Amino acid sequence: MSVKLSQGAVEALCRGLEVRDSVMQLLNIRQIPSAAGPPRYRLMMSDGQHSWSSFLLATQLNHLPEDNLLVPNCVCKVKKTVTNTLSDGRTVVIVMDMDVLQSADEIGGKIGNPTPYDKDGKTSSQQDTETEVSTSFVPPSPPSAAAPGPSYSNNSRALSPPRGSGRGFVGKSPMKAPPSKFSPSPMKASPSKFQPSPMKASPSKFQPSPMKGSPSKFQPSPMKGSPSKFSPSKFSPSKFSPSKFSPSKAGSSSPDSSTKVISIAQLNPYQSKWTIRARVTNKSSIRNWSNSKGEGKLFSFEILDESGEIRITAFNKEVDKFYTLVEQGKVYYITKGTLKAANKQYTTVKNDYEMTLHAHSSIVPCDDGQGIPAVHCDFVPIAELENRDKDAIIDVIGVCKSADDVSRITTKTSREVSKRALNLIDTTGKEVAVTLWGEEAEKFDASGQPVVAVKGARLSDFGGRSLSALFSSTVMVNPDIPEAFRLRAWFDREGYAANSQSLTETRSMGSGARMNWKALSDIKDEEMGHGEKAEYFSCVATVVYTRKENCLYPACPSADCNKKVIDQNNGLYRCEKCNREYPNFKYRLLLSANLADFGDNQWVTFFQETAEVLLGQSAETLGELRETDEAAFDRVFQEANFTTHIFKNRVKLETYNDESRVKVTVMEVQPVDHRDYSRRLLSNIRRLAR
Amino acid sequence: MASIIDVPKPRINCSLLSQHISRPVCFVGRVEKVHPTGKTFTVSDGEGKVATVELNEPLEEELSGVVEVIGMVSNKGAIMANTYNLLREDKGIPFDLELYNEALKVIHDFPQHYPFEVAASG
Repeated sequence: MSVKLSQGAVEALCRGLEVRDSVMQLLNIRQIPSAAGPPRYRLMMSDGQHSWSSFLLATQLNHLPEDNLLVPNCVCKVKKTVTNTLSDGRTVVIVMDMDVLQSADEIGGKIGNPTPYDKDGKTSSQQDTETEVSTSFVPPSPPSAAAPGPSYSNNSRALSPPRGSGRGFVGKSPMKAPPSKFSPSPMKASPSKFQPSPMKASPSKFQPSPMKGSPSKFQPSPMKGSPSKFSPSKFSPSKFSPSKFSPSKAGSSSPDSSTKVISIAQLNPYQSKWTIRARVTNKSSIRNWSNSKGEGKLFSFEILDESGEIRITAFNKEVDKFYTLVEQGKVYYITKGTLKAANKQYTTVKNDYEMTLHAHSSIVPCDDGQGIPAVHCDFVPIAELENRDKDAIIDVIGVCKSADDVSRITTKTSREVSKRALNLIDTTGKEVAVTLWGEEAEKFDASGQPVVAVKGARLSDFGGRSLSALFSSTVMVNPDIPEAFRLRAWFDREGYAANSQSLTETRSMGSGARMNWKALSDIKDEEMGHGEKAEYFSCVATVVYTRKENCLYPACPSADCNKKVIDQNNGLYRCEKCNREYPNFKYRLLLSANLADFGDNQWVTFFQETAEVLLGQSAETLGELRETDEAAFDRVFQEANFTTHIFKNRVKLETYNDESRVKVTVMEVQPVDHRDYSRRLLSNIRRLAR
Repeated sequence: MASIIDVPKPRINCSLLSQHISRPVCFVGRVEKVHPTGKTFTVSDGEGKVATVELNEPLEEELSGVVEVIGMVSNKGAIMANTYNLLREDKGIPFDLELYNEALKVIHDFPQHYPFEVAASG
């Protein structure tokens, strides 16, 4: 009972011809571990004449081996296949639909004496050895994917003469790049490496990636050399960590991507195949985040070439892949990133797009960095900073005259972060404070008054004018650029003695929060508080009226509970919140007052703490005064009247029983710092006069 | 004759002295050197320039720090002091002369907003 195998089917399939309903015997089946998704099964099929092991089972047929229906030696009717050709020329046949005609037991053994089919006509007797080598036959994508190959059909056939021939295939040569560019050294030696049989256990399989050690990487896609492209797990020898690249890099390794190098200026989301060669000008540190959707990490860097610059971000897995590989100042070939419109808020990089790296992206170091400019900064003289708008992203360079010590701050999100302020001075004679955060703050060494250049810092109006290093900023100490030398020379000669004026005044108020200075008329003009969130602002104003009636209320004496207690008239006071009665209560202030400035007046509320500051008396004392000495009680309020202070306020639109009103609460009362106020007014006048 | 006190006196610094010759002014500056006779001393303004102040009677006390002088500008560019007023440095916030100079510049750059009436109006 020998079933007739469709002889010649293997050859036809390998050549890309469509063969339907071929009957073949399964010689071997092996499972390929895959990082994500279902397991893949690789089959060695025989048509009686030839055998071939580049068959991949479509995942919808995974049940066949899993149910033990596909056992070596069984005969199957391969009803539908899709043939994919890899970038390196190897062919893979994906079996989309298959029926088992006869089980292995029924057949009994191998039918006929099939010889391993060799695409290029050379017989290879190592059909099977490949199996241990090609541990990872990772399909490029679900079987339905079209052959990535064709697209990469590109120039340089040069590299693979043997391939081109006997193929009949789409004839792509995997290595687009001219030989010189391409292969990592191991590869170089050997067009011969590109063995005829795709399964060849050639030591350096065809790894575009310098990762030569990896036996059979079978990457359908032009292996940009990104380490963990497709085979997350295999290849113990080659870890596929970006770090792998360096050791194995032999000379300039070029991306084996399909296309030639284009310039950064040409990048856009509509172009799918591109490679760029650029220098990393700016690399950020890894940032972790944790939000409702989970956690993640990212790092970003900016690259520059003759045509322009662009910002690149890598998330999660790609962070592990690329973080150690990417070094500032080095040149790399980058390919296969996702382009999208740039979020200008986070970057000053002049490009309409920004790039995100993904699993298919590849970054390969390039030794030939000539022609690519180094860091490119647009420094703004410190004196000019006053004229720039706040929140602008600025590059600045100056000599670090002094630096504050590292301080730790707890943010609103209860995260602890280190911060450090440096005072930079430049040839304009003006100084500004630059705030560094996190690791940069801790690492910074201010000894020797180094020249510090900061690229991409945010200008804020905190304390007048100051700069804050963003996550995406780069801080360079004693950079190798002409401005730095000029500054150093100036400073050593005269700068150190210059009595500079700092644009950033000592922050007597606000601990890291930027003061949002407004006038009272702005509340109505800008419709502050109308949004979803409360708005905060600071203003200089004068108290013109304080409502002393009803400013005190009896509150629950238990700690933290400030609810008004009801007088039960039996000597007990009931608190609704605590659901308890107390024989006593504590006085708390809830003061309603009217503030005025040049433009407008505004009713505001002072709670206990701020009221006590304003009146200069504690609630308890006031309570007593009210009962004992009316005149003294009144005097307290008289004293507070017509005093001018700096008020930090919270404004919000509140709805109470169908009525909406803008309510302003005073969060903090501070005495007016006249010098700071004057400076602010002067700079406002100058700015308005422009 | 109306006392100089009743007359509006623009605040000036050294650069503006020449424009106010024979006019009553108010000059704020830091005392530099006091002449041994005690009848004259020099003051520096916020810009660092120096002017001379001449007094009717010799000084009785040692003068130092920031002083506000009210008087007439002579045709030689010196200030004939009528009265002076020492701004104490040990009390309150120290006087910021540079900031004061900035404010002076604003006042003189925008006279339409800071008018000085010759006749003291109500």
